Amino acid sequence: MSTEQERGVRARESTLFARDLKKSYGEFQAVKGVDFEVYRGECFGFLGPNGAGKTATMKMIYGAAVPTGGELRVAGLDVTRHERDVKRRIGVVPQENNLDDDLEVKENLLVYGRYFDLPKKVILRRADELLEFVQLTDKADAEVEQLSGGMKRRLLIARALINDPEIVVLDEPTTGLDPQARHLVWERLRELANEGKTLILTTHYMEEATQLCDRLVIMEGGRIVTEGSPQQLIEEHVSPQVLEFRGRNGSLERLREVIEAEADAVEQAGESLLAYTAGADALLEKVRASGVEVENTVYRQAGLEDVFLRLTGRSLTD
Amino acid sequence: MNARLRLPSPRGTFRVWQRNMTIFRKYWKTIMFPNFVEPLLYLAALGLGLGAFIQEGGINGGTYVQYIAPGLLASNAMFAASFESTFNTFVKLKIDRIYDAIVTTPINAEDVVAGEYLWAGTRAALYGTGFLAVLAVLGFTLSPEAPLVASWWALLIPPMLLLIGVMFSVMGTLFTSLIQRIDLYAYYFTLVVTPLFLFSGIFFPVENFPAPVPQIAWFTPLYHAVNVCRELATGPSPVVLVDIAWILVFTLLLALLPIRFMRRRLIS
Repeated sequence: MSTEQERGVRARESTLFARDLKKSYGEFQAVKGVDFEVYRGECFGFLGPNGAGKTATMKMIYGAAVPTGGELRVAGLDVTRHERDVKRRIGVVPQENNLDDDLEVKENLLVYGRYFDLPKKVILRRADELLEFVQLTDKADAEVEQLSGGMKRRLLIARALINDPEIVVLDEPTTGLDPQARHLVWERLRELANEGKTLILTTHYMEEATQLCDRLVIMEGGRIVTEGSPQQLIEEHVSPQVLEFRGRNGSLERLREVIEAEADAVEQAGESLLAYTAGADALLEKVRASGVEVENTVYRQAGLEDVFLRLTGRSLTD
Repeated sequence: MNARLRLPSPRGTFRVWQRNMTIFRKYWKTIMFPNFVEPLLYLAALGLGLGAFIQEGGINGGTYVQYIAPGLLASNAMFAASFESTFNTFVKLKIDRIYDAIVTTPINAEDVVAGEYLWAGTRAALYGTGFLAVLAVLGFTLSPEAPLVASWWALLIPPMLLLIGVMFSVMGTLFTSLIQRIDLYAYYFTLVVTPLFLFSGIFFPVENFPAPVPQIAWFTPLYHAVNVCRELATGPSPVVLVDIAWILVFTLLLALLPIRFMRRRLIS
């Protein structure tokens, strides 16, 4: 993607840096030594299945977890030695809503701003601007409980921006939102990225990562398994075309034999077989010629989801 | 691991206190009302009702109402701070997740706990001040010859209730920091708060009991709180300094423990 290269060339200033970063909870190693570096103004994503170590990594970045080993610098500061200063420079949108239900919408921003010791004038001005930014101005005096899920998420985003942070950390910012609400959040996040904020996000949605991230890492079992721009990862890890077959009457096994002989790689996702190839037409011919019963076939371009399935342990062939 | 002693910052402590104050100011009328009524019910039932059966001059040369009124000030502070540091703190910790949001700002877990101590103390002092005013007025209008608040030293009761509130907040927060389920508070209230309420010299002098009851009472917190309030309401003797010192030492010794435990729950 061109934006990634442009930004990368413009300012190669590191703002988030991890080396051999580890986190254990008792015997369980959630993060087993990861390295990553994020540059100012980038949108950087952490992808991975549940339990991959994404949230543990996020928590170390925003100070809700203390690293067990390795080095982590946020906004240029070591997180273990400069706990408060790091927290002063970042904004956090948590996975679960933790708005203050005892306070009205705007009061949530005002009280939160006080936690950063901002002058009252500044807080009031920013609160109005941010409500405008997330389109909640007409809900300023509403109770938090009256907001929809999408509005609550937008309020969380506004709250995370009250201290004008250098880095915004978002843990699954659109999980549980309907498509309209999700697009609205994406739009706001893109605008933040355009303003030059560094965005760090985790997500389960490949479309979200493709839409927003300049670069991303995929985590699995506490380790980073790959890193790059969405386009790079697709080119690097999967063939450009995908055929999805749905078998009929247990024909999946026989179908797999036919495909495996021809395709670059085969993945199983539920009752479907995904065939990765550079020559979809030829593959389709072979399947037809074999006489195996196929219920439904879909052709599409390879995407990040395919990379994800490939690298997080559902691979059948290499 | 992570055994470094962490002291709260005054700034962070204040911000957490301020958050609670902001909410309190919105709802104070509804919040305060039951706390006023409850001690008055005790005064009416025990002071006037039971007191009618107790001979005049029965306890320390005063009426029974005069005897129990200052003690109820102390127990009122205990209840206010105990509810704040148990149910209210639990909801903020585990249900509304308010603290999770706060500790991602420059405010640390230790500031959250200290802010809650201070807030519980403030709440205890606010309730107590209202209650004290009611006692003073009521006492003078009903029986000017035997007022319920007889000394100007009583003006020192509100700041003492703040300290007493902080002490009980430390105890309640310690229990909160150790439990996972809200129903366990039944144990705390039945086995700690209620026995303190009944056996700390509010309703009868524990000194008259055979050993080791008075000795045991000396080691419990509400006993000293009751002594302080009673002394200040009637005109103190120097002995009151021992009670105040006891409260200070106990509070300071215990205060760091919940901070440690709560930090462990908030920061993994």
